[in-house]
Amino acid sequence: MGAHAELTPGRFVGRPLPRREDERVLVGRSQFLDDFHPPGVAHLVFVRSPYAHARVISVRPPESAAGLVAVITARDLEGRARPLPIQTPEGAELADEPHPLLAAGEARYAGQPVAAVVAESRALAEDAAELVEVDYEELEPIADPGASDLDLMRWRRAGGDVDGAFASAAVVAGGRYAMPRLVAAPIETRGALASHDPAGELLTLWCSAQDTHRPLRHLAHVLDLPAERLRVLVPDVGGAFGSKGSLAPEAAIAAIAAIDVGRPVKWAEDRLENFLAAYQGRGMEADVELALDPDGRMLAVRARIRADLGAYLLPATPMPPHTAAMLMAGCYTIPAADVTVTGVRTNKVPTGPYRGAGRPEAAYFLERAVDDAARALAIDPAELRRRNLIADFPHRSPLGWTYDSGDYRRCLDLALELVRPRPGPVDDERLVGSGVAMYVERAGGSFEAARATLRPDGRVVIRSSTSPHGQGHGTTFAQIAAERLHVDPADVALEFGDSALVPGGTGTFASRSVAMGGSAIVRAVDQLREQCLQAAAPLLDAPEAAITWGKDGLTAGDGRTVVLRDLAAGGALETGARFESDLVFGSGAYAAVVEIERATGRLTVRRLAAVDDAGTIVNPLLSEGQVLGGAVQGLGQCLAEEATYDEQAQPTSASFADYSLLTAAEIPPIAAEFVESPSPLNPLGAKGIGEGGAIGTPAAVANAVADALGGCHVDPPFTEDKLWKAMHQ
Amino acid sequence: MRIAVDVNGERYDSEVEARTLLSDFIRHDLGLTGTKVGCEHGVCGACTVQLDGEPMRSCLMLAVQANGRSLRTIEGLAADGEHPLQRAFHERHALQCGFCTAGFLMSLEPFVRESREPSEAEIREALAGNLCRCTGYRGMVEAVGQAARGPGDG
Amino acid sequence: MKPAQFDYAAARSLDEAIGLLGEDAKPLAGGQSLVPLLNFRLARPELLVDINGLTELARLERSDGVLRIGALARQAALERSELVAAGWPLLSKAVRFVGHPQIRSRGTVGGSVAHADPAAELPVALAALDARFTAQSPRGRRTLQAGELFLGPLTTALAPDELLVEIEVPPPPEGAGSAFVEHARTHGDFAIAGAAAVVAPAEYAAVAVLGAGPVPVRAPAAERALSAGADPREAAALAASAVEEDHRRALIAELVRRAIEEATR
Repeated sequence: MGAHAELTPGRFVGRPLPRREDERVLVGRSQFLDDFHPPGVAHLVFVRSPYAHARVISVRPPESAAGLVAVITARDLEGRARPLPIQTPEGAELADEPHPLLAAGEARYAGQPVAAVVAESRALAEDAAELVEVDYEELEPIADPGASDLDLMRWRRAGGDVDGAFASAAVVAGGRYAMPRLVAAPIETRGALASHDPAGELLTLWCSAQDTHRPLRHLAHVLDLPAERLRVLVPDVGGAFGSKGSLAPEAAIAAIAAIDVGRPVKWAEDRLENFLAAYQGRGMEADVELALDPDGRMLAVRARIRADLGAYLLPATPMPPHTAAMLMAGCYTIPAADVTVTGVRTNKVPTGPYRGAGRPEAAYFLERAVDDAARALAIDPAELRRRNLIADFPHRSPLGWTYDSGDYRRCLDLALELVRPRPGPVDDERLVGSGVAMYVERAGGSFEAARATLRPDGRVVIRSSTSPHGQGHGTTFAQIAAERLHVDPADVALEFGDSALVPGGTGTFASRSVAMGGSAIVRAVDQLREQCLQAAAPLLDAPEAAITWGKDGLTAGDGRTVVLRDLAAGGALETGARFESDLVFGSGAYAAVVEIERATGRLTVRRLAAVDDAGTIVNPLLSEGQVLGGAVQGLGQCLAEEATYDEQAQPTSASFADYSLLTAAEIPPIAAEFVESPSPLNPLGAKGIGEGGAIGTPAAVANAVADALGGCHVDPPFTEDKLWKAMHQ
Repeated sequence: MRIAVDVNGERYDSEVEARTLLSDFIRHDLGLTGTKVGCEHGVCGACTVQLDGEPMRSCLMLAVQANGRSLRTIEGLAADGEHPLQRAFHERHALQCGFCTAGFLMSLEPFVRESREPSEAEIREALAGNLCRCTGYRGMVEAVGQAARGPGDG
Repeated sequence: MKPAQFDYAAARSLDEAIGLLGEDAKPLAGGQSLVPLLNFRLARPELLVDINGLTELARLERSDGVLRIGALARQAALERSELVAAGWPLLSKAVRFVGHPQIRSRGTVGGSVAHADPAAELPVALAALDARFTAQSPRGRRTLQAGELFLGPLTTALAPDELLVEIEVPPPPEGAGSAFVEHARTHGDFAIAGAAAVVAPAEYAAVAVLGAGPVPVRAPAAERALSAGADPREAAALAASAVEEDHRRALIAELVRRAIEEATR
């Protein structure tokens, strides 16, 4: 099937239009979760375990406390609430260890919610929470995943003759590579506001979330309620990066509290809670072996991935390790692969998706091994890659997934051109290194839906099942619809984020919104075009086939024209469409030049080149913004970020004083370009651009650091002390 | 405790608890929710407002301390969105989720007023007091440069 | 995170403030260190004594050649002061590393000193300049040197009912250059390590180190060596020699070397 797009770039698609979403924000009229103050709202805080592992023997609420409205314990939830449902990736074996809403009998991570306190204000709720007496019996915690023999997840897949390949290999290269846990740390923390209308039997939940669908599905499961009794609304969301995908247990408690106290209940998470209790990202280590022939052709890859999943399974905890595993053949024509995943249990907050969600790990594990192989074979790392890049599509990987399209060679060449690597160490004071890394990523898949309405006033209203949280869907989708309907994007209104209004869908994650949500809009708008033609034909007294679309409206052969408003004069025209597809596979190549100060070990990234192939780019301004934002998160992972724990599994980086996000002053020049290999799997030819920056950057920087150190491997973050020690051993 | 505060040119008389933070006072007591709260430990800068013209972290001040003082919040920048910073932020795609934006604008407004041709390093340093997790900052660097240069040849 | 409850008093005079201070009554100046602790409920005073109204403590002036910094002087005022830039440039340089302008507009010099964070810049710069710290309590006034004031991380010799009121900084020697360098993870972050140097080559040297221990330390062996004409690298190695951990020792040696070289440029 040839690569093509039904939607060719024109007046709007492909144009870098600034966002219409901006105005409200710039004048201070944005509305995030904690900006809502419904009358009578009560505030929810949690009593959280101070111990990483302890028996919870008893929980005694205070007799009274100023402003106290209610206290909820695990006992109060018996028989009326179940834990959140766990997503099981195909072929995965999962332990039955879902995260309880409130700890019952045992707390397994420091920060785990033990009791819920509702009061008239946040401050009073915090006061009252201090008066809840909890008897704990401390138990021995496990902080080191290597010391755990409790598995929460197992998965294995193999394809091709792996043993044979290793037996016949000229070189086996690789090593042990690890990415520590990270905190997603959106600037807006999580939150939920629940309100129950017993008369209408409707439970309404405003949620700082990535979409309406998963909170709704999760809440329905937790409370065993039909979807019709729930309404989920998503207001402005201050970033999520994967961490607001699943319904938080705390949000489910807010819903239960709202039912119990008969008032709206708001949980506005504070930063300390977010550091303690929001699921963390990464936290994987892999032993990777690459088998190659004497010419550097890759014969097979073996990877044993170990994930530090934390104390329980949250809905999406199994996804990132599974995603990492499925991408372990990378961009290469490796005929055989054997990948196992073991997710172990420790006494830490669970992990879950964080920008990249397994893709950065896979790219890092594989690309470090490729560079180590290049060193072993004395072949230039870029050349070694070129000898193995997939060039024919569709391509079926040995692990069983089909990559739809790509131009990996072009991405690699362009990345190298952009970064202009300089050879070798230059002076006494610094080591210089350059590195390149490729990635392939899975995006899209499942389905999304859209409704398109032509109103009597001539405006087009699109209701999308996806939900933006900063990506600019309001603008991007308007461009798509406007292109098809020959109207101005300003005449297209987008509605998101209300489960009562928008059609059901899958959600905003995994870089899927343009490919899936955008394509659903194309289908809905195409149906609307059909209806418009049907309505125009009698008005123009012409057959549909003789009517043409133009910016003045629909025109018949004799020049008579009707405008869209005329077509809906008798009533709005409405259509709905669902779009489903297999996974699409984006790709890219990143390259970095770094310097390491010999005297101190301090790392400076001099330049970063980012080449992403996300298929058709609808709005290059916004897409570049996604790349830059993701790349800076990737740089954060390289320079400073790590969720640390002590031997008692106590979090030791639970504030911005200890967990440093990069400021503008740390950012090197980043050259970002797109290669566009349209996907044949959707009418836009789009893949997904939200995560590429976070996927390619750490692997490229890691390879550059290893290059500077003459092949010595260091895991991120590449802090001064680690690099200095690597230079001095 | 009774306090009188001037916010965006309007006087507000209120009753507050000693422990009420200025950020919460602005957002919840006065209903000016344009100012956001990101950390309550003075690092992220989302809560930045101007106290007597100087950008500061409203989460690190008690409301009672603002008694008799004058504050400017994002709502007092330019309601029509025509301040050069607002226009430049829009044109250069300097915001994505928008949660940090008000804090940045309140921090940057004096900088662009006082600078003519700031270097990129100076701009990045001026940005360093606020955190953004979405944009990677480049759009902001360009926007500040544009707004500082002003219309014409600057 | 909302603070636990406390009472609040805005002191109208220094005597009133001191009369109110005690074990459970803490002074509130700039709030840039204290309010985060209140918000995390790590500090839970019963009474907060707001001293921001004591404007007589905010003076920044020279008398008899000595710089007198009122404890309540804002860090931003120190940064902008031409008097300080001309006579005590080390302070102008060091204060620029303190957080960000939004912190410095409220944070006070005295607050930074009294909080005594081992990663703070002003205590180290003041130690390098042989600053003297004057505090007042119901028992009267006393003046301490850096070595007497800074006892440990977040710990000073100040009694609970004692308020830092003034910092006196004698003039550095004529012709001495100065420099402040540090490494931090990100811009404005607390320092991992740093160094302050005031050097008049072969005549006078003062070197103070941030991150060599729980308090700012002077490096007397390095200072003697520099005054005797040693080169910056040798002196820096002496300044770092007591640091046990290898990387930290190397880092401090490098930062001290850079500070000395910049000060002698």
